[in-house]
Parts: sequence; C-alpha cells; structure tokens
Amino acid sequence: MSALPLAASDPTTVHLTAQTRILAAILAIAFMFLILELIRRDRLQERYSVIWFVAGLGMLAGAAFPGLLELVADAMGVRDTNVALFSIVLFFLLGLALNFSVIMSRQAAQITRLAQERALEKAREQANGSAPRRDSERSLESEKQSL
Amino acid sequence: MRTLVFIPAWNEQASIREVIADVRESLPEADILVVDDGSTDATTATARKSGVLVATLPFNQGLGAALQTGYLHALREGYDCCAHLDADGQHPATEVARLLAEVVADRADLVIGSRYSDPDAEAAADDYRPTFSRRIGIGVFRFFLTLATRQRFTDTTSGMRAANRRVMALFSAHYSPDFAEIESLQLAVREGLRVEEVPVRMLERTGGSSFLTPLRSAFFIFKGVVVLLVGQFRPKHAEPER
Repeated sequence: MSALPLAASDPTTVHLTAQTRILAAILAIAFMFLILELIRRDRLQERYSVIWFVAGLGMLAGAAFPGLLELVADAMGVRDTNVALFSIVLFFLLGLALNFSVIMSRQAAQITRLAQERALEKAREQANGSAPRRDSERSLESEKQSL
Repeated sequence: MRTLVFIPAWNEQASIREVIADVRESLPEADILVVDDGSTDATTATARKSGVLVATLPFNQGLGAALQTGYLHALREGYDCCAHLDADGQHPATEVARLLAEVVADRADLVIGSRYSDPDAEAAADDYRPTFSRRIGIGVFRFFLTLATRQRFTDTTSGMRAANRRVMALFSAHYSPDFAEIESLQLAVREGLRVEEVPVRMLERTGGSSFLTPLRSAFFIFKGVVVLLVGQFRPKHAEPER
C-alpha cells in the first residue's frame, strides 16, 4: 500500500496522495449520506448512528486536512501516514466491535428476562384457568379429564 | 413451610412424567413447576397432562435461564424454600427431599446433591460411572472451584439443589445463562451464603442423551475455567434480602 510521495517535502516521510484524499472525501460523504438514509428509513436507530457520524466526519477531516493525520502519525512515531491511518482505523473498529458485543450481551439478557416473564405469565394463566387449589388436587382433576 | 420443586426440561417428554410422579410421591406437600426450555417435543403438553404448572420459555435459552425462571417464580410466589432436579430421571426425589430437609433445618442456604462427596468411594460406586472426558472435567472444575471458593466441592455440575429465599433473591437477579452450575456456586460463596454438599444417590438416565462429546467437553472445561477466573473479579453485590 505504498503511495507515491507526490506532495512530499521531506523524502523520508510518506504522505497521502491527492488521489487518496479525494477518494476518502467522496467515500466519507457517501458514507454519511448512507447513515442518514438508514435513519430516515428506520433501519438504524439514532443512538447507534452517532458513532458512525463521528467516523464519517473523521474521514472527511482526514481528507481535507492531511496535516492532522501527519501530526498523529508523528506522535505515533510512524513515518508512513498510511500506516498511521490504518492502525487508527483498526483500533477504532476493534473498539466498535467490542461496543457491539456489550450491546449484544445486554440485549441477550433482556431477551432472556422477557422470555422468562412470558413463561411465568403463561404458568400463572394456567394456574388461574384451573381453580386455585393445591397442586395434588389439580392433578387428580386433570388426570380425570385426560381419561 | 411452602416448598416449590421445579424441574428444568428440554426435550424430555420421555421421562418428565415419571419424574413428576416421583416428586409427588416423595414430596406430596410441594408444589411443582416444570420449566420447559423451548422444547420442540411434547414436554409441555406431557407435563400439563400430569397436572403441574408449566412455564414454557418461547425459545431455548439454556439451562441457566431455565433455572433462573424457577428461582424467579419461587421468589415472587413467596415460597419459603425451593429445590430443583434434572428432568431426565437421574435424580431420585427422595434425595431431593433430603436436600430440602437441610434447608428447612436452616443448616445451609444452598444445598447441592453430590454424586460423590466421598472422593474415595467414586471408583467403587456402582450407581454412576463417569466417562473419561467427564472425569477430567470433574477434576478440573473441582480443583478450580475449590481454589476460587476455598471450600471443597466434589460435584460442581450437579443439577440437584435446594435453596432458601436468600438464594432465590440472589439467583433470580444474577445467574449466568450458559454456565449455570459452576458460576452460581462461586457466586453464592462470594456473597457469603452457606453452601453445603450432601452425598446423594443418582441413577442412570431414563431418557434423552448427554450432550457432551469429547470436543464439546474440552470446550466446556475451557469455558468453565475462564468463567471462574472472571468471576473472581466480579464486584460483590449487596446482601440479598431475606
């Protein structure tokens, strides 16, 4: 993934090419439109879209102001700006995947509780269906019914 | 003293009727609840025909979730103590009655029925002979759980237990859905509950088949060890209500 150092002033560092920047800007804008469209069609809830918007804006900022990215690359001690970009994106995605696992766990717990509540509700319905008597008496009656 | 005996069942239509009859005979005073964990067979219908209450989970949620349903029911309906046993006919109800007696006498909050409380008697026991992979699992879990709780447990995965209201309150709020047996023991000990093991007699399964293949066993053991390790770092909860 070596980009030609077109805009290079210092030959030892590798910068983003103008081509990459234009492509990134277009992708970022398209991406944000996609997010908007998904929200508009109720396919994505607003609270889960914020992070994606931030990501889109980040992409746009990186494309518009390559100096920002070079600053970050410098701070990371990476000579190739592209590598810096890749590692940032990688960690961002890793964090996001973890975030989804957390959300998934919470929802799994909620689904379990919902299933349990429904099951107990059905059991109560069954209990109310037959008269509220002792378990053993109920059994006798239903055994008679099943005969 | 109101007692609930609940039976988690997943596709146990072949054995559930006998298990219910067995509980009725040995524990005539107890109410029975079958928790059907999303069975695809006639478990619910069979249990209902026997005249017991059935809580049917709309889809399979795992043993932990099924057990928690039972604890939740016991807690909400104001039972003084509860017990559960497997639906496959391995657990004689007379033994469950012995566990309940321990809870009623307030000698423990949670009582576990152990197949082999005396480790030396293990090999000699005629009732139950574990397979090789199972023996490894038993050994590993026994070691780590003892390490984690500083209390000796022999039958860490036993599905025959009796409990009082403190345990109901704890387990209906916190119960691991996939690693029910081991984590719950660790949790109970960490929360300062009195957990006791009682040696019991167990039988061969009358229906269904064990889900453990060697590979699954290995994964099960690995997962269990991870769960125990993580469990050691969980924050302690407030004292559950009596």
